[in-house]
Amino acid sequence: MPGIAGRGRRSSLGAGTDRVLRALRPRLRQIALAFLGAAFAGGFAAAAMVASLDRQVRARFEGTQFRVPSRVYSAPDILYPGLDWRRFGLKDALSRLGYREASSSRDLPPGQYVWEGSRLRVHLRAFEHPTRPEPARDIAISLSGSTISDIREIPGGSSVGAVLLEPEALGAYYGPVREQRELVRLADVPHHLVDAVLAVEDQRFETHSGIDFRRIAGAMLANLRAGRVAQGGSTLTQQLVKNFFLTPERTWRRKLREACMALIVEARYDKSEILEAYLNEIYLGQRGATAVHGVGEAAHLYFGKPVSRLSVAESGLIAAIIQSPNGISPYRDPDRALRRRNLVLELMVDQGRLDRADFEQAREEPLRLAMVTPEPGDARFFLDFLHRQLTDIYTGEQLTEEGLRIYSTLDRRLQQIAARALEEGLQQIEKLRPKLASTDPAHQLQGCLVVMRPQTGELLALVGGRDYGKSQFDRCTQARRQPGSVFKPFVYIAGLEPRDALPTITLASFLDDSPLEISTPAGPWRPKNFDGQFHDRVSVREAIERSLNVATVRLAQDVGLRNVVDVAERLGIESPLQAVPSLALGTAEVSPLEIARAYATLASGGVRPETQAIEDVVDPSGGVLARRELRFLRVLDPGTAYLATSLLEGVAERGTAAGVRAGGLRGPIAAKTGTTDEERDLWFMGFTPDLVAVVWIGFDDPRSVGLAGATGALPVWRRFVEEESGGTVRGAFPRPAALERAEIAPSGAIALSGCPEHRTEYFLPGTLPTTFCPDGNMFGRRTDRVDHDERGFLRWLRDQF
Amino acid sequence: MFGCAHVPTAPPPPHISEISDGDDQFRASQRLVIEGLDADESGDTARALSRYERALQIDASNPWVYLAFARHYVEEGDPGRALSHLDRAEALLDTQEPASPGAKVHCDGLRGAALALEGNLAEAQPLLDSAARSAPDVWGDGVLSASELR
Repeated sequence: MPGIAGRGRRSSLGAGTDRVLRALRPRLRQIALAFLGAAFAGGFAAAAMVASLDRQVRARFEGTQFRVPSRVYSAPDILYPGLDWRRFGLKDALSRLGYREASSSRDLPPGQYVWEGSRLRVHLRAFEHPTRPEPARDIAISLSGSTISDIREIPGGSSVGAVLLEPEALGAYYGPVREQRELVRLADVPHHLVDAVLAVEDQRFETHSGIDFRRIAGAMLANLRAGRVAQGGSTLTQQLVKNFFLTPERTWRRKLREACMALIVEARYDKSEILEAYLNEIYLGQRGATAVHGVGEAAHLYFGKPVSRLSVAESGLIAAIIQSPNGISPYRDPDRALRRRNLVLELMVDQGRLDRADFEQAREEPLRLAMVTPEPGDARFFLDFLHRQLTDIYTGEQLTEEGLRIYSTLDRRLQQIAARALEEGLQQIEKLRPKLASTDPAHQLQGCLVVMRPQTGELLALVGGRDYGKSQFDRCTQARRQPGSVFKPFVYIAGLEPRDALPTITLASFLDDSPLEISTPAGPWRPKNFDGQFHDRVSVREAIERSLNVATVRLAQDVGLRNVVDVAERLGIESPLQAVPSLALGTAEVSPLEIARAYATLASGGVRPETQAIEDVVDPSGGVLARRELRFLRVLDPGTAYLATSLLEGVAERGTAAGVRAGGLRGPIAAKTGTTDEERDLWFMGFTPDLVAVVWIGFDDPRSVGLAGATGALPVWRRFVEEESGGTVRGAFPRPAALERAEIAPSGAIALSGCPEHRTEYFLPGTLPTTFCPDGNMFGRRTDRVDHDERGFLRWLRDQF
Repeated sequence: MFGCAHVPTAPPPPHISEISDGDDQFRASQRLVIEGLDADESGDTARALSRYERALQIDASNPWVYLAFARHYVEEGDPGRALSHLDRAEALLDTQEPASPGAKVHCDGLRGAALALEGNLAEAQPLLDSAARSAPDVWGDGVLSASELR
């Protein structure tokens, strides 16, 4: 049988071989099985890996692709005829906003300006906002000396009442990684930018499947020739995958994963989706300590404009620096950047992405870069304050990842002035008292300054400490300190306010400043004045202008401590206030922000505004998530508010705060100084018709500064207001028409003919003094010295009988 | 007693565009109020609010901004906000020397309209009647349009 014969023949060929084969057969089977098993396991592992990579890819592409920190903006600046443009700092403002000076006004594009003698022509950029957008406007600002005399639209020449500059970015709420990007849609990216990027980074992007083998071969050849890694072979998809998922290590394992993921990405998503993700992800430089990612953010960083407005040459530059954003930075090495930009433009021509004429034009375009504006450090305390408010509404992740735009009330200019005034003031104190100076942040002399707009409650500036980098504790909003005499006006307001029938005091009243003893649970308390003297009978004005303790404590007793607490709370103090005798001297701890809010109520005629720090919050899709609501509550009648303001004007004119005028500052100012026991806290509160500002100075570990509020805190306030106002405070404190005016003798009586000395005072209706100077001379009364309405006069007549 | 109601007689109600006595800030603020009223008239309420807010930023003591706000909120059917801004407007108008002529009419009318929106017709009607008597051309229909205030 052939079979047998065959077997017999094979056996005849070599029985040894046959034996060996027979012996090997089970082994071969095992090996084959092992191979099969290994192949199966390998295939399973590979499939599992691919599935895992696929999950990662999908999670990233279909979930939150980018974590975009929420960004905070200042209030917009407004230009209008009459504005002092030098004091406003127009040039700096334009520069900070990334406006560029053009050489000619011909076809001036948005974001550029040109000086034409005494005329500034600016093409204002559009401000994109879902509910309050501003169009781009080409305007001519006529300047007369330091004043804007006229603003006109360039096409048409029509007069413009006011124009808005875009809000300035103050900072952002970063997560663990400090990077910023402005997300853009592919549709908003100019085609020449896409072409420039593809020309230099991945010319076969449209056709490959994630890996470009021709490019890899070319790169390998180039690297072999160079003897080093001179060229990369990664496609744009691979770069995206590496940035999204992988570390920068150079290993085969990482390369394999990168290639695998690139294939997955290409298989799952459109080229347009991949390109859009790449353009938003790519690292493109630094703004200070913040990494700038994506072409949207880069367009603002380098050219101060939205990506949609980039020229061909500008697009070429952005594509050029992808390779090494810091090495080819146009700020660091403009020549190198220009050479590489032109190389990109040439590649575009070679690849048919740019025609020769456009190339020639783009190549001739000089580098016109926007000024790099690092996020201002002086607003960091404000950002923290805002963050504490926002976290009541939004989670930390929302603020660090969802790219919200938070428009605040901060006045960028006032913030800068406030920061400078505080630092200079503290340095001045240390110069005066060298022993106070310390390099240890924990023992450094500290201070804070908060500024509000009284009518609306808007927070305009907030400097919570000396150096945010060394200490982030905000002494204006987080610290509670005794306010000392800054609290006293609440006592006088309680005295001036009519309760039941008549007020306890008027501006013609006198107070008793003789020795006083009050029984307290801790034993008898005997308040003393700062000068250690008692002054017996003093006028209300003198008592507050000299900040007399004893007279004020006695007034608080007469008015009732509960009423003092009531007034302070109504005005805006929220910290707990104990109705104890020493309350009148400011022993209850409050924050400077509370003091500012309370005096804002007084400055706005007794109408308490809610504190506002946010204008609105906008999400990346343009939805308005939150919008401020101006709310007002009348808590004090306007007459009483005016009388109290008048008292505080006296303090600024003749009293402990008279130093505010030392530098020649003019205009209406109401103010009060404060110094606590052992001179641990120095306070100065002052307001004008347009703003209220509070300064606190002291140590975090309470110890003596060795100065009074008038010497330590007042100069900071004066510096701030002098610079803010240019030396003249605008406006006047509004006086209610219903108040009655009278000439008052030093005795507090109404001054009639023959009364040698007198001053003008105002009174609530029905509260005029009932005595006269000279005594009882009713018929010799000088009618021109009493000016009140008919009802007041009739009431006065009635009072005579 | 303080507020607009204190003005003893009511002259014709003013148009904001006719009030220009004041400094540069006040005038710039007034122009923004007028822009806001124009926006309100054309139905662009977002722009109107934005203009009023910027007018306050320039001159927060300008009572006409608060009056324009109050009018806007009455039209929007938001009496709470309207009354809040009306309080502010009245407080500022009351302190102007001389008292703004005719302001009482708008204050009364707007307060009446806001109270009516709240359903408080007992207080609203006398105020609306008073405004209509003083300025029948403007308040005869019980409504203050943006162009009538402008």
